[in-house]
Amino acid sequence: MSNVLRPYLAAVRSTLTAALTLEDFSSQVVERHNKPEVETRASKEVLLNPLVISRNENERVLIEPSVNSIRLSIKIKQADEIERILCHKFTRFMMQRAENFVVLRRKPVPGYDISFLITNTHTETMLKHKIVDFIIQFMEEVDKEISEMKLSLNARARIVAESYLTAVNA
Amino acid sequence: METSFRKIDIDKYDEDVLNDEDLYDADPRDPAMVLEEAKQRQVAVRSSLAKNDTAGALAVILDSPPYGPNTEQAKEITLSTLLTILNSTKTTEITPVIKSLSQDAQDTLMKYIYKGMAMPGWGDISGSVLLGWHEKLTEVTGVGSIVRAMTDRRIV
Amino acid sequence: MSPEVFSLSQTPITAHAFSADRKDIAVSLNSNDVQLYTRKGSDWTPTETLSEHDKLITSIDWAPVSNRIVTASQDRNAYVWTETTDAETGKLIWKPTLVLLRINRAATHVRWSPLENKFAVASGARAIAVCSFDEESNWWVAKHLKKPIRSTVLSVEWHPNNVLLAAGSADMKARVFSGYIKEVDERPAPSVWGSKLPFNTICGEYSSPAGGWVHAVGFSPSGDALAFASHDSSITIVYPGGPAIYTIRSPSLPLVTLAWTSEESIVAAGHDCKPLVYAGSEQGWQEVGTLDDSSSSRASEGSRSGFGSSSSVGRLKAGAFATFRDADSRGQSSLSGTATGLSDTKLNTIHQNTILSVRPYEVQGGYVTKVSTSAVDGTLVIWDTNEVSALAGKMGGVRI
Repeated sequence: MSNVLRPYLAAVRSTLTAALTLEDFSSQVVERHNKPEVETRASKEVLLNPLVISRNENERVLIEPSVNSIRLSIKIKQADEIERILCHKFTRFMMQRAENFVVLRRKPVPGYDISFLITNTHTETMLKHKIVDFIIQFMEEVDKEISEMKLSLNARARIVAESYLTAVNA
Repeated sequence: METSFRKIDIDKYDEDVLNDEDLYDADPRDPAMVLEEAKQRQVAVRSSLAKNDTAGALAVILDSPPYGPNTEQAKEITLSTLLTILNSTKTTEITPVIKSLSQDAQDTLMKYIYKGMAMPGWGDISGSVLLGWHEKLTEVTGVGSIVRAMTDRRIV
Repeated sequence: MSPEVFSLSQTPITAHAFSADRKDIAVSLNSNDVQLYTRKGSDWTPTETLSEHDKLITSIDWAPVSNRIVTASQDRNAYVWTETTDAETGKLIWKPTLVLLRINRAATHVRWSPLENKFAVASGARAIAVCSFDEESNWWVAKHLKKPIRSTVLSVEWHPNNVLLAAGSADMKARVFSGYIKEVDERPAPSVWGSKLPFNTICGEYSSPAGGWVHAVGFSPSGDALAFASHDSSITIVYPGGPAIYTIRSPSLPLVTLAWTSEESIVAAGHDCKPLVYAGSEQGWQEVGTLDDSSSSRASEGSRSGFGSSSSVGRLKAGAFATFRDADSRGQSSLSGTATGLSDTKLNTIHQNTILSVRPYEVQGGYVTKVSTSAVDGTLVIWDTNEVSALAGKMGGVRI
């Protein structure tokens, strides 16, 4: 892992740890309901200030904390057209299967590529520091993943081109 | 049939509901005064920086910062002044400078670091400088000041 | 003596309350039922389940003298349970009585008053219901404290004089109210909080220092000081007589529960998973250490270095995705370090998750010598309050 990424991930880790201080909070607007307050935004006092951690304009994380849920959105680095397409496909693939990833949100927050919604149920059933580890690892891996996909895509393009051209040659 | 009444947000009319202005005590200072103060501080910080007194400059700028509505310009001046200080501090000096600050100032600094990160490309600050400060500050104050940056509605 | 640790369940313990003799405990295991356990040696055996609520039970209190249990739940109800002999079987059973709370949102916290003739229920309806027993109709009736509460009340605690009530709420304020009910209460003696105390008098209102929800409140044993813990990672101690207010900012995560152990010390706990001890007097307060000395190395959060390990995205590569990805990347069958699993699954504290409740367990000569804590990790721990160990590092910055 590159050392340049470290302070960025360290900042995300500490901010996320601070934000994951959730509790069971019953809605004060709708009777007998528990709703993620960060999504309903019905009571101002239980929403906290959203914080942004950024490396540069193209790589940033938005953390929106509230009393019983937090939303974490990631803007993934996309240097060129291929990376943009790959990133789009990659995040779309996962978000369509969001229920398998438990903490994944089905749609990203506008301006970001992928969002996670972590509620108090998650922090109760899973170890909190492991959720943090998971998010950090995801961030570490996603860049690598996309550049790997880009490589294999190029490799495949080369093979395809080669076989076409062989056919033309023959 | 008239159905538009279904879309009325009745919760808005709940008289007990908290609004933005109820979330924190308003700044007793007049916006114009705050702006004047911010400008004065900018000058004070420049002279401190000329004397290489980073800790002094930070202490000045982090003392009772502008917050609340109608102080956009003062906030902007304060932020840009602060970012100048952060940018001009040597990496090795950061930790001792942070340790010399009061707890209030440390918490305020954390708020400004997040504010700076929320607007990259603003001014001449790079993300890595802010991330460096963030890391050093968290080492000194613990995650407590991050929690306070989230909870405190007196947004700088 | 090292702390006694009991692992009661895999699910969070949202509330716990001991009987007067400490042989029985009532807990809510993050469900709609109250589970009673009896102590057998070093084990707790389940005895009875009290089912009446139909939403999560948020708080339980067990009156030591009158031996009654009161429960509050997110279903907007509270029940008072009394132990009676069943007419048919001759066995002792707990019988519920519904309380007419008249609130329309969740009940969040409940506490018996010191004389056990009243109890207070905090609620999400921006109100506190002070309940007393109406002999004529044979049920519990409620009077509401409403003004000036602007948000969900998160905790309530009684003053030793049986009249004053402290409440912490999500509108970032801790308040002291009068819960005087003329049918049941004697006129209280004047105190630092005031002399004339009709119902709903506000005797004090204190804001949290940096806008955090007030999670926990508590009066000192004499009732002359009030402590509250708020979500901005701070604990504040108020002396209205002084008047003096001391705020201690913590370098770590917010505290959500607290208990006075003497006039000069408080045990508080929360998201940091370890109970902290604060000590002081009217002259000033400071953090003195923790009861959890197993964390002699560095504390859990923030300082953990989880960066070096290069294990894969684990769950991300499960199922269909892995298949497609493998096929796509052609020939790359083994994924880089598939789920090596980090060794740091355990925190170096006794509780492995947020502590939700800390309560006095044993009192000797006016001092609380033991406290019990229950946490999201499903464990119940009984701590000796004299075994305070200093916190390692980072505490140099604590000022008062």
